[in-house]
Amino acid sequence: MDTTQLLKGVLDLAVLAVLKNEDGYGYDILRRLREAGLEEVGDASVYGTLRRLFAAGLLTTYVVPSESGPHRKYYSLNAAGRDQLTRSGKTWRSFAITMDALLDDRGMAA
Amino acid sequence: MTVTGQEIADYVDRVRAALADLPPAIRDELTEDLPEHLAEVAAEADGALVDRLGEPEAYAAELRAAAGAEAGAGSGRRGRRLAAAQARAGTQLRALDTQLGPLLGQSSVSEFLRPLRPAWWLLRGWLAALVISVVLQEPSGLLPRLDGSVLAGLFLLAGTVLASVWLGRRAPGFRGWPRRLLRLGTAAFLIFSFAMLVNVDQHASSDQFGSYQEVSVGDRYDSIEDVFVYDQEGRLVRNAQLFDQNGVPIRLGWPTCLDASGNMPAPRNAYPYCPDRAPFGPPAPAAPTLSAPPAPGASAAPGPSGSATPAPTVTPSVAPSESAPTPAPTR
Repeated sequence: MDTTQLLKGVLDLAVLAVLKNEDGYGYDILRRLREAGLEEVGDASVYGTLRRLFAAGLLTTYVVPSESGPHRKYYSLNAAGRDQLTRSGKTWRSFAITMDALLDDRGMAA
Repeated sequence: MTVTGQEIADYVDRVRAALADLPPAIRDELTEDLPEHLAEVAAEADGALVDRLGEPEAYAAELRAAAGAEAGAGSGRRGRRLAAAQARAGTQLRALDTQLGPLLGQSSVSEFLRPLRPAWWLLRGWLAALVISVVLQEPSGLLPRLDGSVLAGLFLLAGTVLASVWLGRRAPGFRGWPRRLLRLGTAAFLIFSFAMLVNVDQHASSDQFGSYQEVSVGDRYDSIEDVFVYDQEGRLVRNAQLFDQNGVPIRLGWPTCLDASGNMPAPRNAYPYCPDRAPFGPPAPAAPTLSAPPAPGASAAPGPSGSATPAPTVTPSVAPSESAPTPAPTR
């Protein structure tokens, strides 16, 4: 199964998750996602997702001037974002458990 | 190949073009981080941006889908159709770009043109100096002049060239309306300077002495080879000279026969060149030859018809008469 198809459904959650402990700018967030194992995540998808989450009021932004390069726009979770992360996380866990059980029942290796 | 600032700017432009149907605010928001992001990607490893991120249009589509951005309500159907047409034209242009590239020994035409940019900056500076000097009504050729002085013109030229190069180096950093303004300005400028160059070229190629008129001659006499003058009696006048109202000799035709010594006579202002070729025969001493071509203007002019003059004893009916057409009687 193509991971990119699955990613579409859970990218919001993944982005919220990598921002849980530490704020980050676009490229930084992308790198965290890839380091966490989501190799196939597209650059544009992450940026698009960030804009959408921001527009939905789940993220706040601030600009950090940088001496070495261009100014960076950092994203951080706000209260609504943390709330959303908790709820979506629960939904995903129960969904994942259901899927695991379904595959186990059919005798398929994890 | 290292990624240049130009490549980043081009990539951003194409992404923005593919999002042209979105309301400007949303588009700006979506592409705001893009230059920085591309710079990070470029710093990360070697290789063209397109190889690592895909075509800008695909990037734009992914960005749009992930952000859940649809065409704005303001743009409507026509705006979307326009954007779609724009995208199609862009795709075709790029295809042409890569197809024609091998002709120039490059992978694409733009690859070939990019190193020529500084040459265009110089040319633009020179054109700008010319345009300025024309606008100031200076008499200008290919060098700009100020106050009729070539030296001042050269200073102007140096200034415009420097300005043009400066603009060329700064332009990739332009975004939004300064960029649009620059493009519009360039287009108008090219049209204007082309018109001006055509004008200068016409001045350069026109003959300085074109108006000097030595001989009164019109084009419609081009087909005339020789001139035959007949006197009142129908006799051929030799060595007739023609002048216009200003006393300028009228030169028509050219010698088409050899003279007595077997040489081609030089053109001169005396007609006919070739008396032997007179259209109407010399006055015959004897009976009129009616087979001769009819007189010019049969009744009006005293036609050199037949043998009128020298023999007044000939039958009166053959004589040049004002009223009766000549060939009538004998047959």
